[in-house]
Amino acid sequence: MKHYDAIIIGTGAAGGIVACVLAEAGKQVLLLERGPALSFTDVGRDHLRNQRLSLYGHNAGPELEGNPRVFVDPEGRARLVRPHELDYHNNAACVGGGTRVYGAQAWRFCPDDFRMASKYGVPKGSSLADWPLSYEELEPFYDRAEWELGVAGDGQAIQDQVPRRRGYPLPPVSPSPQTAALKRGAQKLGWITSPVPLLINTVPYGGREACISCKYCVGFACPTDAKNGAHNTVIPRALTTGLCELLTGAVAERLEVDARGNVNGVSYFVQTNGRTEQRSARAKVVIVSAGAVESARLLLNSHSGHHPQGLGNEHDQVGRNLQGHLYPRAYGLMAERIFTGVGPGVTVATTQFNHGNDGVVGGGMLADDFIKPPIDFWYDSLPPDLPRWGLANKRFMRDNYTRVLHVRGPVQDIPNSEGRVTIDTAVRDHWGIPVARLSGTTHPATITAAEFMRERGVEWLRASGCDKIWSTRPELMLSGRQHQAGTCRMGHDAQVSVTDEWGRIHNHDNLFVVDGSLHVTNGGFNPVLTIMALAFRSAEHIAHAL
Amino acid sequence: MTDLQQQTLRAVVNRIIPPDDYPGAWDAGVGDYLTRQFEADLAPQLELYCAGLDAVEAESLTRFQSSFARLTIAEQDATLVHIEAGELLTSWPIPPARFFELLVNTTAEGYYSEPEQGGNRAAIAWAMTGFDEHVQS
Repeated sequence: MKHYDAIIIGTGAAGGIVACVLAEAGKQVLLLERGPALSFTDVGRDHLRNQRLSLYGHNAGPELEGNPRVFVDPEGRARLVRPHELDYHNNAACVGGGTRVYGAQAWRFCPDDFRMASKYGVPKGSSLADWPLSYEELEPFYDRAEWELGVAGDGQAIQDQVPRRRGYPLPPVSPSPQTAALKRGAQKLGWITSPVPLLINTVPYGGREACISCKYCVGFACPTDAKNGAHNTVIPRALTTGLCELLTGAVAERLEVDARGNVNGVSYFVQTNGRTEQRSARAKVVIVSAGAVESARLLLNSHSGHHPQGLGNEHDQVGRNLQGHLYPRAYGLMAERIFTGVGPGVTVATTQFNHGNDGVVGGGMLADDFIKPPIDFWYDSLPPDLPRWGLANKRFMRDNYTRVLHVRGPVQDIPNSEGRVTIDTAVRDHWGIPVARLSGTTHPATITAAEFMRERGVEWLRASGCDKIWSTRPELMLSGRQHQAGTCRMGHDAQVSVTDEWGRIHNHDNLFVVDGSLHVTNGGFNPVLTIMALAFRSAEHIAHAL
Repeated sequence: MTDLQQQTLRAVVNRIIPPDDYPGAWDAGVGDYLTRQFEADLAPQLELYCAGLDAVEAESLTRFQSSFARLTIAEQDATLVHIEAGELLTSWPIPPARFFELLVNTTAEGYYSEPEQGGNRAAIAWAMTGFDEHVQS
């Protein structure tokens, strides 16, 4: 059996970075990915089956059959869900993970996002807590992620709120007519705005081409490879060292322990010549980077005589505090056409309301949206008082697809320890592994914040010149999805956290979680740049220790 | 699907997305989209579609003593409004609102998604909405 310095499970935003840092430090790495490497053509441009609109399937895995989960709704009714259903809380399963098909918004969290409990107190019934590290400690690694993967943005824009040592490596995306309208609106209201930072090459960078402004960003792959993810930046770097072995189609079954209960490797399934084969690999260090749902599932499934409740789960903390983001949103009709067909489409944001809102714990960022394919717009964006069929509906699509202004944003989830991942031993996947069972909701304080942000969205659209405005009230629900986080939270106290500030699981020397699972709270921003920054920070620490 | 069901389907989808300066659902290829989907993702719902279309026809015969496809546009729309609201003169073997919502949604899917799926012939819906445009700012 082959021995590695490190085995990493998952090739997403975090796993790819850990592999790169360790391999470039001269370590022997085995990088396991349950999905395949997907080409641009593999991902395709199916408007009904993509990671943004998944009516009948999706385009970045996992396979619809053989990968069920159990979802328990707020009334306590359990049902089986398939990967393209909303309640599955899927992220992609392919090389690059979610970064293969993401929209690539590259926000840093605010300093206050790391000290939510100190700033606001802990709402009754919530598990709100401070991070064990500060923004200042993470800042060098945000910088590193921005420069090593490539982020386009305006470094001066929100310097007061989110201080940074230098600008971005790439200029921000160009404004569009909707940018001008929204900036005018914000100006009237006295709100700050900034371009939306994106992991997109606005000019050539990292040996790859610039964005050609197509209309297929979020949910799809980039035709010029100008969208920067793990698959086209850090993983190729890891492979170039010759020290990193990437194994696709490899499904981790459980982590293995030695006679003393110390983790020493991974047991996994892999397809060879059309047959499923079970294998094991050994390593000095194991890093779980499978996303907040699957990382928790793997730890819980790795129970043994020494760890009867699963690894890292002595205090019943693994899988708890599952969070993501609710997305308050508002739509308004402009008199003039604002659509130019120039992608990505998201151009301007306000961070005016991430903190300091009366009676609200946290808040969030609001921005315009990525270009929506017409069928997506038809399902998502029509006014609720418009008939769903007939000439009126068709005329609205004809006249107003180019005139609807849309603002939305992730609102900071207030975590609840009952929003969680457990395992369901009665339901097995294709390989016979017990599946993830998702239950609970976010804390009701999240709804207060989401409703506050929805009202700000309406206000922004009105000031920007929309006369007819529509939006729906946010509802309490589990909110993991592509922004899933929190299930192996970091902390100093092993009673109420799973790992230390480096992602090392309490009471283990060589077992790490590095992905969104670590997030104590998930900010009022898209979380991927924070996942990447933490991955650089943990990976440096692991490389030194090895 | 029988010829009569096919005929009713054509008439119904043409009221869901009617022709005007731009083609209605049927001429834009929604029938082709649905035919493909009945052998794929919508295969489990084919029976529901067939039963629903039979019920639309029966409702039309009771209401106007005429086949749905032969009704005036106003009569067709009136029939569909009643079906959507569940105000029926005949007894339906399936939930009418559920059938109608499914039909509305899948008609829009065929009309607005990419032409490779069978509908949105010559990307006509993208020209209509303006999705096709790419104006360099």
